[in-house]
Amino acid sequence: MKKILFVEDEEALQQAMGKMLEQHNYNVLKALDGEIGLKVAQKEMPDLILLDLILPKKNGFEVLEELKNDPATKNIPVIVLTNLEGSAEVERALSLGATTYLVKANYKLDELLTKIEIVLNHAH
Amino acid sequence: MMAKWTRSLNLKKVCWEYRVGLWQCPQFLFLIMGIIIILAILVTYIVASRYQEPEFAAITVLALTAILFTIGNLIVRAFETVALAARSKSEFISIMSHQLRSPLSAIKWQLDLLLTGNQQNPLETIYAQNERMIQSVNDLLEVNRIEDNDLILRPAPSLIKEMTQQVANEYKNFAAASNVGIEIEAEENIPKMLVDGERIKHVIGHLIDNAVRYSVGGGNVVINISAKGNKLIWKITDHGAGIPADDQKRVFDKFFRSNQALRYQTEGAGVGLFIAKAIIIKSGGDIGFSSLPNKGSTFWFSLPIKK
Repeated sequence: MKKILFVEDEEALQQAMGKMLEQHNYNVLKALDGEIGLKVAQKEMPDLILLDLILPKKNGFEVLEELKNDPATKNIPVIVLTNLEGSAEVERALSLGATTYLVKANYKLDELLTKIEIVLNHAH
Repeated sequence: MMAKWTRSLNLKKVCWEYRVGLWQCPQFLFLIMGIIIILAILVTYIVASRYQEPEFAAITVLALTAILFTIGNLIVRAFETVALAARSKSEFISIMSHQLRSPLSAIKWQLDLLLTGNQQNPLETIYAQNERMIQSVNDLLEVNRIEDNDLILRPAPSLIKEMTQQVANEYKNFAAASNVGIEIEAEENIPKMLVDGERIKHVIGHLIDNAVRYSVGGGNVVINISAKGNKLIWKITDHGAGIPADDQKRVFDKFFRSNQALRYQTEGAGVGLFIAKAIIIKSGGDIGFSSLPNKGSTFWFSLPIKK
């Protein structure tokens, strides 16, 4: 069973995404802030990370940077899943090593599932 | 074509559309500058032909140049005002859309689950997210009213202590969830006062909300109400994170959110204190705070005792 870490401080989003992924036989790890997200990533080595940008304790950019600077975690694909959409943010996230940048409000859950599966299949 | 010309001649209307005063309106200032240039030429000519001494003409030219320079300066400032307004509008739209997108995504995903039969009862979540959007829109409309100078207060006689208690009660559960208690200390004889109850409740609520949110290590939030001269003063004290010295100057600025605040609280548009300040100032009072990083903050505001 593949492990997906969702770093997101909004409980309603955690819950909806978690339910959908579990339904499709993924093991979902939840983190409600950046610091915990980073710790869980290092400990559990998930197959994929979904990362929000505006997060308590450590924001998404900081988490992304630390993940990519750590040889252990740098190969885990990261999908940035946020509601920020400035070109500066998109560029920064991609240049820090994010695999894709998706705007939450623009996707239904099953569309996100498709995106997630594409990234997972590419990685292995 | 004609209509366009007459429209641009109606300066009052043009300037009103820009929402700037006459002396901040580029079109009006250009007109004044034109008149002064013509006057300057005429006066220089008359002065030069009347008097033999070249000093007279020189001083006249100098004085008129100074006036022209001042008006030129006003025009540049006027353009700045217009440009800033445009920037603030686009900032407004970007913050507003972000504020709405978070709850909208939550509703969208919850509805997805409901439609695919995977969810028992997401209605409570959807309801809460909907409330959040309504609150965001209300706040942003209030900001717009403040900026357009259109904040109209509706004062009515209000029981101050009861009103404050009522707001504190609304935040009780929210505070308890963060292990924070709310206490009220109020003098015995607080008079009934003429205030815009809804708006003052909004201010008190916002200050309590902030105090609870930033009480990272728990501890109580204390609301103190006391009369001093002809003013009534509220003090809301927490023992939380405090505000870094560098950020203290900007806490009442529109859309300002300190990086420190973002570490604890990602939600919010940064308009709460901006609105609170506008309401208190408009009510004839004053608002301020003192804060020590890692010790906590005290936000206070005063209102004139009007019966």
